[in-house]
Amino acid sequence: MYKLILATRYLLKRRMTYFAVLAVALCVFIVVVVMTVMTGLVGDFKEKNHRFAGDCVVASESLVGFAYYEDFVKKLEGSEFVDSVSEVIKSYALLSPRGRDVSRGVEIMGVDPVKHSRATGFGDTLYYRKNDVSKAFVPSYDVNLPGCVLGIDLALQRDSNSRYAYDSSPGHVGFAVSCFPLTARGALVLGTAPVNTKTFYYSDHSQSGLARVDDSLIYLPFDEAQALCGMDGGAKRINAIHIKFKSDVKLGVGCDEVRRLWELFKGEKADESQAYLLDAVTVQSWLVHRRSLIAAMEKEETMMGAMFGFVGIVVVFIVLVVFYMLISHKSKDIGVLRSVGASSIDIIELFAGFAAMVGLIGSCFGVLGGWQFLLRINKIEGWLFERFGYQVWDRTMFAIGDIPSKISPKVLAVIVVSAVAACLIGALVPSWQAVRLKPVETLQVNQL
Amino acid sequence: MLKLFLWLRYLRKRKIVFLSIAAVALSVSLLIVVASLFTGFIDAYERIAVEFMGDVVLQPPKKFSNYPQFIERLERLEAVDTATAILTAHGVLYLGKGNVCAVSIHGIDAAGAVKVTNFKNSLLEQKDLPGEPSFVVASDADAIGAFLGIAAIKEPDEQTDEYDFNDAKEMLGKQIVLTTGSVTEQKGSPSDDSGPRFIRKVMKLKVADVVFTGFYDIDKNYFFVPIEELQKTLYPDIEEPLAEIVQIKLSRGANAESALVQIRGVWQAFVDDYLGGDPYLKGYAEIVTSVEMQSRYTAEIRKQMGLLLVIFGVVSGSVVVLVFCIFYMIVTTKRKDIAIIKSCGTGSGAVAWIFIGFGVCVGIIGSGIGVVLGCVITKNINIIEGWIRIAFGLKLWKSSVYLFSKIPNEINWLWAVPIVLIAIAAAAVGTLVPAIVAAWTKPVEILRYE
Repeated sequence: MYKLILATRYLLKRRMTYFAVLAVALCVFIVVVVMTVMTGLVGDFKEKNHRFAGDCVVASESLVGFAYYEDFVKKLEGSEFVDSVSEVIKSYALLSPRGRDVSRGVEIMGVDPVKHSRATGFGDTLYYRKNDVSKAFVPSYDVNLPGCVLGIDLALQRDSNSRYAYDSSPGHVGFAVSCFPLTARGALVLGTAPVNTKTFYYSDHSQSGLARVDDSLIYLPFDEAQALCGMDGGAKRINAIHIKFKSDVKLGVGCDEVRRLWELFKGEKADESQAYLLDAVTVQSWLVHRRSLIAAMEKEETMMGAMFGFVGIVVVFIVLVVFYMLISHKSKDIGVLRSVGASSIDIIELFAGFAAMVGLIGSCFGVLGGWQFLLRINKIEGWLFERFGYQVWDRTMFAIGDIPSKISPKVLAVIVVSAVAACLIGALVPSWQAVRLKPVETLQVNQL
Repeated sequence: MLKLFLWLRYLRKRKIVFLSIAAVALSVSLLIVVASLFTGFIDAYERIAVEFMGDVVLQPPKKFSNYPQFIERLERLEAVDTATAILTAHGVLYLGKGNVCAVSIHGIDAAGAVKVTNFKNSLLEQKDLPGEPSFVVASDADAIGAFLGIAAIKEPDEQTDEYDFNDAKEMLGKQIVLTTGSVTEQKGSPSDDSGPRFIRKVMKLKVADVVFTGFYDIDKNYFFVPIEELQKTLYPDIEEPLAEIVQIKLSRGANAESALVQIRGVWQAFVDDYLGGDPYLKGYAEIVTSVEMQSRYTAEIRKQMGLLLVIFGVVSGSVVVLVFCIFYMIVTTKRKDIAIIKSCGTGSGAVAWIFIGFGVCVGIIGSGIGVVLGCVITKNINIIEGWIRIAFGLKLWKSSVYLFSKIPNEINWLWAVPIVLIAIAAAAVGTLVPAIVAAWTKPVEILRYE
């Protein structure tokens, strides 16, 4: 009990400790704000990638794709852990708006809109056909024309607030899509022209929130894309299967199960003529499948944390100095405590408790300040933009909406624990010095 | 002299002062590293723009003919050294079995391009050869040659982020197929099937050389073909040479602003003389320096840098608190020293200056160490990144994410100097209150016997 009383007394009476509390609060405030924003951005980006890919992706590394997929899809659909499955064609194409002398290379994805919406978040990314995804490729202005879903940045312009100029219905625009049909060996299809071209009409746009997807991807009807890429002859081929697991299935368990099924399937098809294509197929969770994109943001988050760690050393120094002063002023208290039987451990506990209190109180102020700031961060940014034209991120360049402001309890816990740990480390050397004080020396009459 | 003696004594006797030096050094080095890396990135981005596009870029709203006459007129200007034309298109490239990628096609005059840009140094095979580079394929003189970006052939290694140059060189002389196209029929409405249609064009080419600029976007997405061949393919009915962009190299020492005015004048006269005075071409041609062209992106990076420096600067503000605590402790424990100094006749102001001066010294020493540390880290950032990869398996820098193959490692002294000055000022500010406390010390109270 006396430890708590003394720690509280030191905290209240020694004003110098306020500086330690202030330093901790300042660091915690900044770290809470920055890491909340960064974690929010990374989390949001991961979630968008998850929605884009589904839970698990069975995909070929080559644009040639793989055959016999119908049998494997049946197996997946018959298994208990799979909720839905979507076969996908992926390739590159030249996209040319009709009537305009411009064209650009894009990525194409051939999907069945209903199946793909069940396996991924595709349906939610649509604008005009959100409530009836089966008509995603049906242009509202002419239901007989073949439709295509454009990435939103291919279809619309953004203003400075990241808002798109939506129309009440899609514009009547046709796009010539040209791509290379490849044989199962990866060569160009001989005999006819080396390139297939077909015109599709803008039926909807998709806003996934992923810049690279929204800026360079168009969705086409599955059968049309398969024909364009030359994958519809003989043993039909696809590039990927996107899978969604049932809600009670854990990601790792589901992926392992798909992997097991795939190995069995590969064994069954070993004697088929295009079995060699199955060797280039991998089974990956969405996290691994989108790793190259997600990892970059996660690394930036880690680097930021590491840099704050370096700056946090200053807090350790401040606590060390404050405790050093306190102990040098309170040597008589320590002498009295030791003389009435307090052990070395008790002295260390006293100062460790005091350090923890400094860390906790500083953290509380920092968290409170950070929380209040985050609540208003978008308003503050809006005000800065209106007044001074300042935005943290130029929304015409970055696919970011509001600044993330939701504090993650996990991040908060890490920050508070780190702050308390920094205080404890700072108090370590002074506490050790306190332990080494000898009552007989500190309580000598000439020292009083 | 007394001050110097006391400073040295406090430094020697009060080891805790080293903590404030360490804190100042840490903060200064961190801020210098952050500022240098960001400005290095911006400088490299602007440099690659000049190296790849020349000093000034003229981009009319649509293609125009008779560009050789325009270039000839431009080169007559004193401010202009030389110029070259470019015809652009987009396409899809078939590189081999199962290897297809989307590319941005640049129709260039290889000999002209090397005079305006640093293009020759980017060619793996021809950079060390004498003379001007060309699209001639060594193994097949009749074939149409093309320059292919190294990342389009194969992505850099996942672990080391380095390209396999031998793999890339194996592509030399190999046939590749390019699909591109243009709109050639200009009748009917866009929604009508009888309207203007995109006509697909296929070019069979051979790889004459491989481009490695170290800038991922160019190495991955750009594909270079002879300008006349691209025009023949896209616009076979047009005989006059066509261009879409003109890249201009200014004469040494030429003033960019006045050069831009002169170039605009030449352009307008050229449009009047050769393009029928088309007001659209005259009024909407963009004539800017290549650095200015990147200004929107670089301004955004500068903004991010500023934000990061403010964040770390605020956290580094704790140094003021630290210096205050340490100096306050020194003042309270050395009150007898102070009283003796004052009793010998030293004024309050002089006493205060002892501590403020000591704070400045701490700031200078800390900043000095910080600058050295910051320089060492910045200069060796690529080595440090390599160590981190080996030790933790964490590849922090990837050209596919951060555009450049190497982390820019130039120290920015324009930022380093203000950071150092602010650090010294912060250390001095931290000593203010303790210095005032010291100045107010009354010798008669401190030195009395009881």
